[in-house]
Amino acid sequence: MFFKNFKYTFKALLRNRGLVFWTIAFPLIMALFFKMAFSGIEEKETFDAINVAVVSNEYFENDGILKDVFRTLSDPENEDQVFNTSYVEEGEAKELLQDGKIDGYVVFSENAPKVFVTKNGVNQTIFKFVVEEIVQSSDTADIIQAKVEKMFKEQNSGGFWNTLGMIFAMMQENRSNIKDISDANLSYMTIEFYTLVAMACLYGGILGAVSISWCLANMTNVGKRLSLTPVSKIKLVLSSALAGYVIQLFGIVLLLILTIGVLKVDFGNKIPQIVILSVAGSMAGLTMGIAVTTGIKASENAKTGILIGVTMLWCFFAGMMGVVMKYVIDKNIPIINKINPANMITDGFYALYYYDTLDRYMTNIVGLCIFSAIMLAIAIFSLRKQKYESL
Amino acid sequence: MIIYKTFFKVLNKCKFPVILYTVLLLFFAGFNMSSNDKSMDFTAEKPEIMVINHDKEEGLTKNFIEYLKQNTVIKDINNDEESIKDALFYRDVQYIIYIPENFGEKFLDGKNPQIEVKSTSDYLSTLANMIVERYMKVAKNYVGSTSDNEELFSKINETLGKKAEVEVTSKMDTSTISRLTRYFNFSAYSFIAISIYVICTIMLKFNEDKIAKRTAIGSIDYKKINLKLLIANSGFCFAIWGIYFIFARILIGEIAFSEYGLYYALNSLIFVLSTVTLAFLVSKFVKNKNTITAFVNIIGLGSSFLCGVFVPMEFIPDFVLKIAHVLPAYWFVSNNELIGSTEVFAGEFFKNFCINGAVVLGFALVFFIATNIVSKKKVEK
Amino acid sequence: MENIVEVKNLTKEYKKKKAIDDLSFDVYKGEILGFLGPNGSGKSTTINCILALLNFSKGKIKIFGKEMKPNSYDLKKKIGVVFQDVAVFEELTVFENIDYFCGLYIDDKNTRKKYVEDAINLVGLQEFKKYYPKQLSGGLLRRLNIACGISHKPQLIFLDEPTVAVDPQSRNNILDGIKKLRAEGATIVYTTHYMEEVEILCDRVIILDKGKIIASGTNDELKDLANIKERITVETKDLDNNHLNEITQLPEVFEALYEDGILKISYKNEKNNLENVIDYLKSNQIKYRKIYSERPTLNDVFLELTGKELRD
Repeated sequence: MFFKNFKYTFKALLRNRGLVFWTIAFPLIMALFFKMAFSGIEEKETFDAINVAVVSNEYFENDGILKDVFRTLSDPENEDQVFNTSYVEEGEAKELLQDGKIDGYVVFSENAPKVFVTKNGVNQTIFKFVVEEIVQSSDTADIIQAKVEKMFKEQNSGGFWNTLGMIFAMMQENRSNIKDISDANLSYMTIEFYTLVAMACLYGGILGAVSISWCLANMTNVGKRLSLTPVSKIKLVLSSALAGYVIQLFGIVLLLILTIGVLKVDFGNKIPQIVILSVAGSMAGLTMGIAVTTGIKASENAKTGILIGVTMLWCFFAGMMGVVMKYVIDKNIPIINKINPANMITDGFYALYYYDTLDRYMTNIVGLCIFSAIMLAIAIFSLRKQKYESL
Repeated sequence: MIIYKTFFKVLNKCKFPVILYTVLLLFFAGFNMSSNDKSMDFTAEKPEIMVINHDKEEGLTKNFIEYLKQNTVIKDINNDEESIKDALFYRDVQYIIYIPENFGEKFLDGKNPQIEVKSTSDYLSTLANMIVERYMKVAKNYVGSTSDNEELFSKINETLGKKAEVEVTSKMDTSTISRLTRYFNFSAYSFIAISIYVICTIMLKFNEDKIAKRTAIGSIDYKKINLKLLIANSGFCFAIWGIYFIFARILIGEIAFSEYGLYYALNSLIFVLSTVTLAFLVSKFVKNKNTITAFVNIIGLGSSFLCGVFVPMEFIPDFVLKIAHVLPAYWFVSNNELIGSTEVFAGEFFKNFCINGAVVLGFALVFFIATNIVSKKKVEK
Repeated sequence: MENIVEVKNLTKEYKKKKAIDDLSFDVYKGEILGFLGPNGSGKSTTINCILALLNFSKGKIKIFGKEMKPNSYDLKKKIGVVFQDVAVFEELTVFENIDYFCGLYIDDKNTRKKYVEDAINLVGLQEFKKYYPKQLSGGLLRRLNIACGISHKPQLIFLDEPTVAVDPQSRNNILDGIKKLRAEGATIVYTTHYMEEVEILCDRVIILDKGKIIASGTNDELKDLANIKERITVETKDLDNNHLNEITQLPEVFEALYEDGILKISYKNEKNNLENVIDYLKSNQIKYRKIYSERPTLNDVFLELTGKELRD
C-alpha cells in the first residue's frame, strides 16, 4: 500500500505540468538567464587597462622620461599595465573623449600637467592619480639626489631630467614590499546561483504541499476518498511526502548538474557537503510546504501563492535580487537571515566556497534542521487530526 | 460595446499584478537615488578599505593611516576573521591592509617591512593598491634624508599633497541622465509583464471556447473583434505608459520633461506598441491561468536578463547580446543607452534612433500579422 | 434481519446550528436504502458522520456491529464510498485512477486486475481506459467516480448523489450498475434529491428535512402517509367554474384545480374514481384530449409533510 500510493502520487505529481514547470523547469531557466546576464559583470569589474590619451605636444615629445613612463605603463607585456595610451593631437584627444573612446587625456607643459575628463569616476581618478605620481616623483628627486649620487656619478651623465629618469626608474624597480594574501574564491556572483538553488529547494516544497493535500479529507475530494481506505494516515502522508521529496531532489540534482557541470559555476569542490546541504535545504522546503498547506486555512491557490511569495521574500533577503542585500542584512539585522532558510542554504554554499573551515557550514546545516523540525511540528499538530468539525 | 464592458470587468481582476510590477519599477527607481552630484568640479573616487593595525598608532604608522584617511574611505568593521572575510567578499571594502607589529619603527630604520593586503582585484582595489604603494615609495625615498621625524613626515605629506589639475569638460548632468536611462530600461520589464498578464487574462476570457464560438457565429467577424480588443488593450497599456512617464518626472525630476525626456518617452511609446502586439500574439497560445504566469516570467525575465534591462548592457557578454537582437527589448534598451550618451541631438543620433525605433515597430507589425494568421486558423477549425 | 449500520440519536452541530438533529435509523443487509431530501437537508453530513470523517456532538454509530473510528481499518475495507463531488486525480488516466484506489484495498495483483476490469465493465468505461478525466464528459466522469469507489467490491456502499447533473444515458447506466451491485450482495445507502430514482431503486426510504427524519418506510408505506391516494388529470378546454364546482362535489374528491386547460383532481381514497370522472364528463358533454390516473409521488408526500416541494 505504501508503494502503491508512492507510485501513483509520484506519477500524478510528475504529470502536473504547472508543478513541474515551477519546481523544476523554472529554476533551470533562471540559471541560464543568470549565467547570460551576470557572467560578464565580474570580468568587467576586474581591473583592465584604462583607455587614455596623451597630447603629443612638443613638451611631451622632447621629454624622454615622460615618454618612457607612459610606455612602461601602457605596455601590454607588463603585468602591471595600467593604460592603453593613444598619442594624438589635442583636437583629436578632445574628440576621442567626447565619443567616449577614452576616459581622459593629459596635456603636459612647463606648468603642472592638466587632465581632461568628462565625468567623475574610478578610471578618471586612477588616471589623475598616475599623472600626479609623475609630478610628485620630480619633487622627491632633489631630496633623494644624494642617495643616488653614487650611481649618478658612475653613470657619468648629466642634466636634470636624466637624473630624474634614473631616479624614476629606480623607484619603479624598488617595489614596495606589499604581499597580496587575497583569498582565491572571491566571485560574489556565485551567490546569485546559490540563492537560485535555495529558491529551488523551497519551491520544491510545493510538491510536498500538493501531495499532502491529496491525503487530507478536509482539503481535497481525493483526500476524502483516501481517508476512507484501510491505509493508515501515517503511511499515506509519508509515502505522499516522499514522492514529492524524491521529485524535488531530482530537480535539485538537475539544477546542480546544470550550474556546476554546464554553466561552470564555482561551488567549491566539497561534493559530499554540497549534496548534504541540498538534501537538508530540500527538507526545509518540504516541511515548510507541508506546514503551510496543513496549518493555514485558505484555498489551494492562495497557499501556493503564500509559498511562492514567502520564498521570494526570503530569497530577496538572501541576495537573489542583488547580492549586497544579503550582506546588509547579515551585518545589520542578522536575526532575519538566521531564521531565513533561503539564506541558510545560500550561506551554506557560500561557506563551502569561501571558507576553509566547515564551522559556518555546519551552523547552517544545523539551522536548516531546526527549521525543518519546527515546520514539521506545526504540520504534525494539524496532521494528527483524523476527524474534522466540517469538510 | 459588450466587448468593452467585458474588457473592463476582467481588467479589474488584474489589479494586483499591475500594481506589483509598477511598485517594482518605482522601488528600482528609488533604489538608484544615490549619487546626485551636480557639481562640475572633479571629485576623486575613494576606494573603501579596512586597516588592521598591529602596530602602535604613532610615528610613521600614524602618518600612513592619516594619509589613507584622506585618500580612501576607511570602514569600521568588526575585527573578527568572519566579518573581515565577508566584508571583502561582498565588496563592503575593496582592500584590506594588515600593518604588522613595529612597522613604523622598522620602516624608519631603513628596512623594508612587509605589508600584507587583500584585494578584490577590481578598479577601486587597484586604485587602493596604487595609493598604498605611493606612500611606501615616497616615504622610502625620504627616509634617511633627515633625522627629525616631524620634518620627514611633513616632507612626505607635502610631496603626496601635490595634485594634478583636472578639468571636467562635459556639461552633461550624467548621473541624473543615467538614472533616467536605467528607469526607462527597467520599465521594459514592467511593460512586458503587465501587457502579457493583463492582455492574456482578458483574451483568455474572450477566447474561451463557448464565447469564441458565439462570437464566431455572430455578425462581427474575427478581424473586427481582434481590432476592437487591440484598441482596448492598447488604450490600457498607453495609459500605463503615461503614468510611468509621470512617475519619472516625480522621481527623477525635471529632466524627464526636457529634450531627453521627450526621446525616452517616444522610445518607450514605440516599445509599448511592440509589447501590446506581442502579448496579443501570446494570448492566442494561452490555455489557462498557469500558462499566463509562465509566459510572463519566461518572456519578461528572459528579455530583461538578455537585453540589459536589469544588468547594464556593457556588462553582458557579447554572445548574449547577439542572441538578444531577436528581442524588441534589445533595441529599446539600445535606444535608451543611445539617448543617455548623447549630448547634442543631431545627425548621427537621429539616424541611429530611427533605426532602433524602426526595428521595434517592425517587431510590432510582425506580431500583429502573426496574431491575425493564428486567429484566422483557429476560426477555420 | 441483520443490521449493517445502526445509527442512534446522531446529532451534529455547526456553529451552534443543528445540521443533524437526533437521527436514528438502521440499514438492513442487502437493501438499498434511499435518503431523500432537498439540498442542505443533512444527507451528506449524515454519511460523513457515519464514515467517521466528521466529529459529532451526540449519538452512537455502529457498522457491522462495531463502532466506527478513523482507524477501523477492518471496517473500512468492507466499505465503499462515492462522494457527491468527483474525487479522482486529474493527472491519472481512467484505468490508473481505478487501479490506484483499488490498490489501496487489494494487495494481490491478480485479484486487483480482475476487480479493476469488473469495475470498468460495470460502469461501461471500457473504451475510455486511457482517457484523462478532463477528456470525459460530465456523465462519464460520474461513472469513473463511481468505479473508483466500488472497485474493491465492498459489502456496504454509500452513494452520495451520484447522478447530479448527469445525462439520461449515463443515469440509466449508473442506476443499472447500482442494481447489479445489490444483486451481487452489497448493501447500499443512496442519497438523492431525485424522487424518481428513489422510487425506481430503493427498497426503503428515509426522508430528511432540516436534519430531521420526517418519514421513513417503503415507497408504498410512505405514499400511504399522504392524504392524496390518487390523482386524475384531464386535458380539456371546455370547462367553466360551474363544472369545477360540481367536480369538487363528486365522491371522495379532496381537491380540484383547473389551470391552462388542465384539470387536476386529487382523491382521498381509491374507489372507481376514474369511472366517476369519465361519467361526469360524458354526461356534461365535455370533450377531452387525454385522461389519466396517477398514484401519489414522494414529492406529494414531502409537500404534505413540509409544505414545500423537494426541488426547492
